[in-house]
Amino acid sequence: MLLDYDRMGWLKIALLGFTALVAGFLLLPVVFIVLLSFGSSRWLAFPPPGWTLKWYQELFADPAWLDAALTSARIATMTAILAVAIGLLASFALVRGQFAGREILRGLLLTPMVLPVVVFAIAIYAFFLRLGLGGTTIGFVIAHTVLALPFAIIPIATALEGFDRSIEDAAIVCGASPLEARLRITLPSIRIGIFSAAIFSFLASWDEVVVAIFMASPSLQTLPVKIWGSLRSDLSPVIAAASSLLVGLTLALMVVTALLQRKVRT
Amino acid sequence: MSVETRQSPPTFRMPAGFNGLLPALILIVLFFVVPVLALLLRSVTEPEPGLQNYAALLGDGTYARVFFNTFLVASVVTIVTVLVAFPVAWMLAIMPSALASIVFGVIILSMWTNLLTRTYAWMVLLQRTGVINRTLMAAGIIDQPLPLINNLTGVTIGMVYIMLPFMILPLVGTLRAIDPMTLRAAALCGASPFQAFRRILLPLSLPGVAAGGLMVFVMSLGYFVTPALLGGTSNMMLAEMIAQMIQSLLNWGLGSAAAFILLVVTMALYALQLRLVGARRMSGGI
Repeated sequence: MLLDYDRMGWLKIALLGFTALVAGFLLLPVVFIVLLSFGSSRWLAFPPPGWTLKWYQELFADPAWLDAALTSARIATMTAILAVAIGLLASFALVRGQFAGREILRGLLLTPMVLPVVVFAIAIYAFFLRLGLGGTTIGFVIAHTVLALPFAIIPIATALEGFDRSIEDAAIVCGASPLEARLRITLPSIRIGIFSAAIFSFLASWDEVVVAIFMASPSLQTLPVKIWGSLRSDLSPVIAAASSLLVGLTLALMVVTALLQRKVRT
Repeated sequence: MSVETRQSPPTFRMPAGFNGLLPALILIVLFFVVPVLALLLRSVTEPEPGLQNYAALLGDGTYARVFFNTFLVASVVTIVTVLVAFPVAWMLAIMPSALASIVFGVIILSMWTNLLTRTYAWMVLLQRTGVINRTLMAAGIIDQPLPLINNLTGVTIGMVYIMLPFMILPLVGTLRAIDPMTLRAAALCGASPFQAFRRILLPLSLPGVAAGGLMVFVMSLGYFVTPALLGGTSNMMLAEMIAQMIQSLLNWGLGSAAAFILLVVTMALYALQLRLVGARRMSGGI
């Protein structure tokens, strides 16, 4: 009875133990980094000799960190808006369109997700050097939107496939214009997909390291570039403080997502 | 909408068109396809027209070592990830949902946490004087600190960590789709649990394992961040070498030739994966 949870006997205990071990492995770095950020040892001794908030003070005292975080937030927000808007239009065409080569075009739009980022990074870096867009906000946003687009299209297209189109048609029969029906009936019904698309494309930009390393200029650094630079010079506990705040942000995003999903279900 | 069309519902279906795709296509063609093709062009034109960059890459022992390292790490990471992910996905597929949602929560937290944060944590954990070495020494398992970082061991640990969610999540879907009745039937017919596993559960989950494994392998081949931070200078991986050729050595010809090789291998494996699962099913991965 290998797929019957209640009748697996010792095998269940072994597998549950293994699952707990893997969950611990997945949780370890996240918990460790948060604990480390409060430890007083500059050399990252663990368990720390004492507890302190000084790494957070150092973090907030350095305007470069805040600057980088704001730059990242700005670029990620613009990327998410663009990717969702473009992805929404594309999803309607991909799911409902009747034209030749639809599957090929779908594959093409998803390719940035599969191609190693380093290849895209040097390609767009060289391209933007020629166009004079290297190290600019607009350059960052364009490059990140290319990378985020698959993460916007997939959840929206999935939601749209699960939406019963006859409801939209019914609204039209009742006198709504096709555009009105889409805006007031279809979009609200697939809002979870749109919301996931926004979160995924925001994260795709917010966490993006490789393109950012190539594109960054001394005057325009995103948060990952700032962390990358610090990591390469030393393993200062200030990075642990910054990282813990990022973990906090991830948790907040997870809670918001869970609450929204619950709200939709009820 | 004219009055006539309102009278006959079927014609309400506007030939939902191609137009919606235009913004996406313009973006991808202009800022993805064109730059990548321009890069590939450089690999055969710089410093002078010809295939000398490819000849240099494929004929040199140093580069051969990088290719070998890359395939070795990607293979080991894939095998370890599959072996670790399978039992977890199996349990997740049949666990009571309250328990499962805790484990899913941990997986999502790990996956959504900033990539550099996770890698930084492993850099500190795996150091010579790091927690793992100290714990092992305190427990008397080892006398000398193990070299866990700046080598392929560190890269493998860090990469398996990052790849696990990408293997577990799709595999849960595959395992949930298997009808438990098939296993009950096997048991009724006298199959031992091991036989049932080997002849029913494993074959039925194999498409999911193959698709997920291929995805992990492809992602590992081109991975940059983790190898660059957890790996050593003496055993570089391909993505790192490409970045270095461009960034430090400014050798665009050689760098783009190496990028082209990575692209061809990746795309070939991607095509294979599409044939295994189909473009639509792939989407369930995230």
